[in-house]
Formats: sequence, C-alpha cells, structure tokens
Amino acid sequence: MERVLPEELHGRLKEIGDVELLVGIPSYNNARTIGQVVRAAAAGLEKYFPNRKSLIVNSDGGSKDGTREVVLSTELDHDSLLLVAHRVNPIHRISTPYHGVPGKGSAFRTIFAMAKQLNAKACVVVDSDLRSITPHWIELLAGPVLEREFDYIAPYYLRHKYDGTITNGIIYPMTRALFGKRVRQPIGGDFGFSGRLAACYLEKNVWESDVARFGIDIWMTLTAIAEGFRVGQSYLGAKLHDAKDPGGDLTSMFRQVVGSVFSLMENYENKWQPLTGSEPVPMFGFPFEVGVEPIQVNVERMTKAFTQGVKDLREIYASFLSPATLAGLEEATRLSGDAFRLPDQLWVHVIYEYASAFHHRKLDRDHLMQSLVPLYLGRTASFVLEVRESPALEVEERIEKLCGVFELEKPYLIERWGTRAGKESPHARTA
Amino acid sequence: MQGLLERAFLVPFERLREQLASVVEATLTVVVILVVGGLLAWTVRQVLFRLLKTLQFDRLAESMGFARTIERTQIFRSASDFGARVAQGFVWLIIVLFALNAANTQMTDSLVARFVNYVPDILTAALVLLLGSVISRFLGRSVLLAAVNAQWAGARLLAGGVRVLVMMLAVVIALEQLQIGRTALLTAFAILFGGIVVAGAIAFGLGARDLAREWLQSKMKGRETEEEEVLRHL
Repeated sequence: MERVLPEELHGRLKEIGDVELLVGIPSYNNARTIGQVVRAAAAGLEKYFPNRKSLIVNSDGGSKDGTREVVLSTELDHDSLLLVAHRVNPIHRISTPYHGVPGKGSAFRTIFAMAKQLNAKACVVVDSDLRSITPHWIELLAGPVLEREFDYIAPYYLRHKYDGTITNGIIYPMTRALFGKRVRQPIGGDFGFSGRLAACYLEKNVWESDVARFGIDIWMTLTAIAEGFRVGQSYLGAKLHDAKDPGGDLTSMFRQVVGSVFSLMENYENKWQPLTGSEPVPMFGFPFEVGVEPIQVNVERMTKAFTQGVKDLREIYASFLSPATLAGLEEATRLSGDAFRLPDQLWVHVIYEYASAFHHRKLDRDHLMQSLVPLYLGRTASFVLEVRESPALEVEERIEKLCGVFELEKPYLIERWGTRAGKESPHARTA
Repeated sequence: MQGLLERAFLVPFERLREQLASVVEATLTVVVILVVGGLLAWTVRQVLFRLLKTLQFDRLAESMGFARTIERTQIFRSASDFGARVAQGFVWLIIVLFALNAANTQMTDSLVARFVNYVPDILTAALVLLLGSVISRFLGRSVLLAAVNAQWAGARLLAGGVRVLVMMLAVVIALEQLQIGRTALLTAFAILFGGIVVAGAIAFGLGARDLAREWLQSKMKGRETEEEEVLRHL
C-alpha cells in the first residue's frame, strides 16, 4: 500500500483519520464535467449521510485542463439543498495523482488503498464525465452497503435500446450464465462497495494487466460475485455522460473488457463451471421512466464490416471456430438488407468458442480479440434490425431471451473449455 | 631380367593392389558408416516422433500457427513428423560428413573442413529464416486484422504484401549470411523494394485518386462514419 499512495498523501490522511464513507472519482481531463459530479457527491453526503465522516477523493491521471483545481475549488450551495440535519464533521476533499499504468483501474487502485488506510466502511465510485448524476445516487450506492450489509452495489440504468451493445450482447449474458447472478449493468462504471471488498480488490495482483485500464469495471463485478460477496443493484435512472469509450476504438475495448471476462473465467474456473441457471439480485431504489438520448446506428456499415470480416479472416476463424459455427457465419453473410440476422444460438456459440480459444491460446490473445470485432458488429446490426420497431420493454425481453440461450448453452462452453477447441466436437450443434 | 620384370610389372601391380585395397577398405568403411548411420537416423526419427507426440508438440505448433503451414506442404503429416524428419536430416548430415571423413582423401578432407567452418553460417541463416517466418506471419496477421477492422477493401492484399516483404528481407539476410551473391542480392532487393514503394505510391496516387482524396479528407475532417454514428458499446 505504501507504494500505491503518493508519499505526500500520508500526512494528509493521518490528519483526516478514519472515515466511514469514501466517494472516489477517477478523472483525466474532465474539468468541464467534474465540478457537477463533485457537487452531487458532496450534496449526497450532506443530505443522506450527515452523521457519517466522509471523504471525496479525486484520483487523477495527470490532467492538463485543471481538473484537480476544479475538484478542490467547487463550492456547494447549502441553501439550495434544504437540509434538515447539519453535518457534525466537514466533508474532506482530496485530489491526488495516481501511479501505475494509465487508466481507470489504476485510479481505482489508489481509491481502494485510501479506503483501506482510512478504514472506510463503504466506498462509492462515480465517473467524472457524468451529466445525469444526482445526490440520490450516493444514497442508492452507499446505503445498502452501510445499512444492509451489502458488499457490492452495481448500478441499474435506463438506457436507449441501442446503447451498451457489448453489455447487452456479451457482458450481461456472460455474467449471468457464468456466475448465476443477474447484474444488469456489470460494467456500469458507478458502484458502491464495502471496505472489506476494497481490501480484497487491493490484494489481487492485476494492476499491470488490462484490469488497470478499462477492464476494471467487469473485474470488480465478477470478482465480487465469484468471491461470494453480497451483491445487489440500485436503480439510478438514466446515465448521461460524455461518450468516451476505452482507447477510443473497439479493438481496445474488446481486449480490455471482453478479454478481462475471459481471463476471469480462467481464474474462477472452479466457481462458474458447476453453476446452472441464474437468480435475480436484490434491487434498491425506485424505478421510474426517464427519457434517454437518441442513438443513431449505421446498420449498413456494420453488416459490411461483418461480411468483409468473415471473408477476409476466414483462415483465422477456421483455426479456432468449429466448422458448424463458421458455416453459420458464412450463411449469414448471404443475407442482406433487412433480412440480415445472426441467430442467438450462433452468437452464443461464437462467444463460447472465443472464450475457449482464449483459454487454449489458439491464437495470440490480442489478435483473437481483434478478430471478434467484425462478428460483434454483425451481431449488433442483427439486433438493431430485429428491435428497430420494438419499445424498450420488448427490447429488454429480447435481451432476457438471449441470456436464456447463454444459460442453456453453458454445457457447450464447458465441453469446449475442457477439450481442445477448434476441432469439431461430437456434440456441436448446427447453429 | 627378373629385376626388369619386377620393376615393370610386379611393383606397379603391387602398388595398384595396395591402392585398390585402400579404396575398397575406404569404400567399405563409407558403406558401413552410411548403413549404420541410416539405421541410426531412422531410429532417431521414430523415437523423436513419439517423443514429440507425447509432449504435444503438434498442439504447440498449432498455437504458434505453424501446423497449418507444415500440413499445407503435403510433405509432412504433422508438426511432430516435421520435427522428427528434420532431426533425421541432421543425423544424416553428420553421418555423411563422418563417412566423407572416413574416405580420407584430400578432396573429402577439404570438403569436410570447409563444411564444418560453414556450419555456424548455415545455423544462423536457418535461425534468421525461422524468425523471419514467425515475424512475417505475425505482422501479416496484425495488418490483416487492423485493415479489416478499418474496413479497407484490399486488406488481404496488404497483409500478403507485408508478409512477402518481411520474408524477402529475411531471405536476403540469410543469403547474405551464407555469402551467396551478396552484392547482386542486395542490389536486387533494393531495386525490388524501391520498385514496390514507387509502384504502390503511383497506384495509390493515380489508380486510387478518389480513395486517396477521401482518406486525406477523412484524416483532416474526422471520419464521416464517426460523425453520423454515436453508438456507445459499453
């Protein structure tokens, strides 16, 4: 821990002493939005946890736009909050640069280390580019940890039907099928967790891997579930934030996020293999309808990317995908326009065969993740075409149906995981 | 008279007999060495093949991307077969050198000496070719994936070009190591490489003017697709 926290911080932490609640905000050049996030966090602490000693920590990646200065100088308008109770202790505020691999994960590591040093009972982490955060988020994320002894609270947002397609098509169904918990936004980015879970995270040796970058969200969720911590989720409404995907391109996103899921599958092989089915996790908050930002999708570009991928990368796919899956993909390339579809079972087999190829190192892992991008774009195009006319509720049902297929096909994953992937298995079904 | 007979016939005959005997002896030694060596090489191949199979060498080759290339030659059944046959070849080479040495002639002695001095160069060249093959495959695949994900129409052509160029560079370095046609090879490579670059530039500039313009425009203005699509994946 001595090495995680900057030297100059130790004196300040000693001065503050133990805290009950810590709010962490990772940042990198977010001067434009972080002031609002700090205000919301401070208001949330004032309003909902007036008697708990609290600290707001900004873990910064070397911003050049004055992000840290904004954090420290942002004032809270107490009059507008109409507070009933007034705080005994002031809310402390720290802005510190983090050390290590540049990325959100390293920023979180500093927050975990600080939580451990200050014996924090609960922590909340929120993105610094949020535009829809309200003080109530702090209560919804920290409350279940402080008052109901939960260890991990994932966010539950309302999103546009085309938003979060990696979450909807891969991460959520995989989380469910593997570990049996229906955490709807496992990579939401805003979480609440207990001090003991923060200490557990800190002990893991993952800080030089993709977890230190943008694999951190899924790593936190899956580690909490796999290690048997109490997991719940809180309804936060809509999430509006500056669109800033990791690395700015899909390839990095796949390597860091999907690659982290596959790595965790190796770490927790004995945990996920015996599990069948899934169960809902407790939900906190009051669900309400909100308007979501419209999203434009270029389906034609995505189907073209898929078709070119299947054609040009055929040799690569043939080295680890089963002949049945490859044939299914080639069949899909013959469908054009609105008729284009990538069926659920085929998609599930693709993902499971990729997980298995990752495990068996059938291909350089970076290359493997890169080769998934065209197939994912095909699946996204198929999904968009299928739900184009559907209302949000139907889309949610459609995602649930996909999750069902992921769960049903889990024996196929176990079979391929345990055997050498790439060769036709006697039980492989035609997708 | 007898002295004349001895000098004219018996001494040359005796010399011839001695020479023939030494040749026959050397030939027999060579034949025996080759037969025993052949059996040894065959045994080495069989044992090594089984050993490689047990050690799952095929799987390793598959993960490194060699298995497919080896099988595609239609000479070797598998990576283990390839490894075993290469070892057999080495044993054969040593046996042949041993046999040549046993022949004990001025020519074979010189040949063996020159070959032994040449061995480090051969090994270095082989290593360069092996590395070149690995690097060309890796780079070729990297370029292919990047180009496909960028949706470039000539992705395969580009990747193939990269593979060929890297392999050509490895071949030139290997031949340079073996001191075969050094100057001619370097000149040929420089001309060929320069030619490819010029041809590529002309093709891109003339044959694909529109593509060049669009590409430059997209670089300067930001990609059109990115502007019209705001899909958030996570």
